[in-house]
Amino acid sequence: MRALIIEDEPLLNEELEEQLLEEKFNVDSAETFREAEKLISGDEYDLVLLDLGLPDGNGLDLLRMIKKYYEDTVVLILTARGEVEDKVKGLELGSDDYLAKPFAMTELRARIHAVLRRRFKINENEILAGKLHLNLNHLEVTYDGRSLELTETEYKILRYLVLNKNRTITRIALAEHIWGSKIDDRFSLDFINSHMKNLRKKLGEAGATDLIETVYGVGYKLEVHETQQ
Amino acid sequence: MKLNNKILLCNLILSVGIFLLTAIGMYYLVNDTVYDELDNHLLQHKTDIVNQVTADPASLNQIQRLGGLGSYEWVEISRYEGLIEAKVNNFATLDTMRSASEMTPKAYRQLTTTLSANDTTYTLKIYEEVAAWQNISMTILLSVLAGLLIWILLLYLVNQMVFSRILTPFYDTIDTLETILYPTDFDERFPHSNTYEIDVLNRALNTMMNQIRSSFEDQKKFIQNASHELLTPLSIIRQKAEKILSKSDQLDRQTVETANEIQQTAVRLSRLSNALLLITRVENKQYELDEQVVITDVTNDVLVELQDFITLKNITLVKDFSKEISVNGNKELIHSAIYNVLQNAVKFSPPKSTIKIATHGNGRQNEFTVADQGPGIPEELKNSLFDRFKKGNGHMNELGQNNGTGLGLSLVKSICKLHGFGYHAENKNGTGAEITLHF
Repeated sequence: MRALIIEDEPLLNEELEEQLLEEKFNVDSAETFREAEKLISGDEYDLVLLDLGLPDGNGLDLLRMIKKYYEDTVVLILTARGEVEDKVKGLELGSDDYLAKPFAMTELRARIHAVLRRRFKINENEILAGKLHLNLNHLEVTYDGRSLELTETEYKILRYLVLNKNRTITRIALAEHIWGSKIDDRFSLDFINSHMKNLRKKLGEAGATDLIETVYGVGYKLEVHETQQ
Repeated sequence: MKLNNKILLCNLILSVGIFLLTAIGMYYLVNDTVYDELDNHLLQHKTDIVNQVTADPASLNQIQRLGGLGSYEWVEISRYEGLIEAKVNNFATLDTMRSASEMTPKAYRQLTTTLSANDTTYTLKIYEEVAAWQNISMTILLSVLAGLLIWILLLYLVNQMVFSRILTPFYDTIDTLETILYPTDFDERFPHSNTYEIDVLNRALNTMMNQIRSSFEDQKKFIQNASHELLTPLSIIRQKAEKILSKSDQLDRQTVETANEIQQTAVRLSRLSNALLLITRVENKQYELDEQVVITDVTNDVLVELQDFITLKNITLVKDFSKEISVNGNKELIHSAIYNVLQNAVKFSPPKSTIKIATHGNGRQNEFTVADQGPGIPEELKNSLFDRFKKGNGHMNELGQNNGTGLGLSLVKSICKLHGFGYHAENKNGTGAEITLHF
């Protein structure tokens, strides 16, 4: 899959590139409107990460251009503007999702996964992590064939961990994923703990005792070793 | 007290003072004149009597016998007994009766002197009634004073008219100043005036208003730009920290915890930045307020978002949506305001407590109230609860943490102000806080 990153801040651009490379994308990147314009007119991309606030033009114009020529390209808007109108406008113009800066890379990965699945109507509705099966269409989770009764929030936590398996997910990123960035973080972090406690208990009852690892009290990690697969 | 009333009052007091002084002065002056005249008159009589007696000493007895000179005066001549100094005119005013037939004593002016006739010295006393003269003097006095009084009253009325006319532009300025709630919302100009002082005042006010406005605009613009520009670098900090954390298994605990703190701080800072951005955008009126928003619907949406916390804290919700409130405004913002109010209530509610949410009203004045059973509003915050960056000192929730950016209720305030809603917070019977929004 081919991806284009349009982001004027070089450090962030680099970081995004690195992330997408890890996800096995072929990555091009542009730091200005003009560069981006050139790249878009030359090639079709599967995924475009688009920063709206470019120094030499409005990102929304790029979005219009992309959608005009390549209907199937997935566009994810990244913006420092927490502005509702931009979000609405972007979605109206055909962007697939919207991420306000600063976002967690794990969140970006989860979003990319979701939009690509939606856009390309991927039929494999199951994601696997060792013996854990998650059905993405329903709230169905099984471990080693045994089904788990999870609440919506617990399901969201587990799905996020599975999508970002073998990575440390900080509690703050998890809280943001579940409740959005509006929630008071020091308030919500404690609730992550209690949800996690319940989730672990349920996993433990299904036999997956140490599936979710705690990383020094800062976050969690769902470790899936190659040997388990 | 108003300036024109003050000036009028001063004038009035001064006029009345002058009036009283004049009255007293006039009284003495007129009296003095009357007595001078009386004394001249008496002396004239004396000269007449002396002339008559010198010419015809025998007439002395006749005068003595007749006594009177006219209806208002009379003469007494008796033998000189040395009681008074000879050949000196003594004047006195005394109350006496001319004859026993008179009921009450009258005021008389008396001239006592000596008179020589037939080689004998006599005491001569000439009396003249004061009353007749006094009547005249009183009439003069009263008419002068009455004239003066009328003059004062007229002056007062005329002054009042003239003052209010002259001071009208001044009072217009004052009235305008009184109506200004927020200097930044005021875009009228104070008018030009042909009175020098008022013109100076109005021009100074215009200049100052412009300065306040422009510096406020600049400040808001600055906050908006700064908040916005901060987000990208914050994004980088956050992602770099995240990158460190993603390799947590190769790192020691301290490094992981430090990277986590860096990340959390970046997130917190960006929230602060976003909240400031939102507030300034609200204050800069960059939102359309043309949507029909049903408060109860928005509240239900917010409750869905907060459901997790409500469930985990075992909070009982008591909803009384007997009145459906529908307002014109920006849905996103109203959602944000209600979200902040409810999040606060949930945050400060102890586990297993109750939050009451109610709407009521009579069509003209509608209210939305949220009452919790938390610790209530601390005393030192009562007056500044809705101000920016106000948090209770050591005001902890049960988890022992001081929450939030301190911008939540300030955002509620800005949004309410933009929509023209009222907001109010109070402690309810010592148990918990109640926040009310008036629509």
